[in-house]
Amino acid sequence: MVKVRLFGQLKTLTDNRSELDVPLTNGRQVKDLLAALDHAYPRIGELIQTRKVLVSVNQEIAHPDTTIKDGDEVALLPPFAGGARV
Amino acid sequence: MSSVELEESLLVRVQRENFSIDAEIDRVRRRSKRIGGIATFLGVARDRSRGRDISGITFEHYEGMAQKKLREIRERALKDFAVIEVLILHRYGAIDIGENIVLIVVGAEHRADAFKACKWCIDELKQITPIWKLEQTPQGEVWVEEHP
Repeated sequence: MVKVRLFGQLKTLTDNRSELDVPLTNGRQVKDLLAALDHAYPRIGELIQTRKVLVSVNQEIAHPDTTIKDGDEVALLPPFAGGARV
Repeated sequence: MSSVELEESLLVRVQRENFSIDAEIDRVRRRSKRIGGIATFLGVARDRSRGRDISGITFEHYEGMAQKKLREIRERALKDFAVIEVLILHRYGAIDIGENIVLIVVGAEHRADAFKACKWCIDELKQITPIWKLEQTPQGEVWVEEHP
């Protein structure tokens, strides 16, 4: 089970929960987490596919093949506030 | 924490409370007598966004990672530009219209380097710092993502 922190608009898709427990049964990489999320929380999965939602592991931006270890701090980061383009 | 470490830690902050622009400029000015120019960027909460009236803004940040990214920006600015000191401050929580949101202060020997680094810092902050903006509009609350 991996605890995944949520921010911004992702929380609105989960009744304002700031954390999800996601079971990881098929592999321990970020791409496995995304597949598990898509299965368990389809609305989050849809947002991940349509927006640039990043995954961080231990407060660093992760990649699909980043391995998630026990105790790692995992978060889903929707697009940042940004501001107007310059 | 030593007084030197404390002063360093005050140069990058994510905080709920408002800040004094004068006090923060002085904080940078005090760092070196070689500073000859100080450039600042101040972001404030505006009352209109994408054609909608805004009555207030709430900022959410990823505690720890936001500070880490701001420290990285400061360190890169100090390394890549001919500047002497950089201060980066961002507020979180509920912010009223017209209030301060974000402040960048850059001290350099000369103004051109200070301006360049200041612009780079705020542009980079908006790209890589995990901070999210929730706008209160007459139609309800909207999470903003202005960088597609």
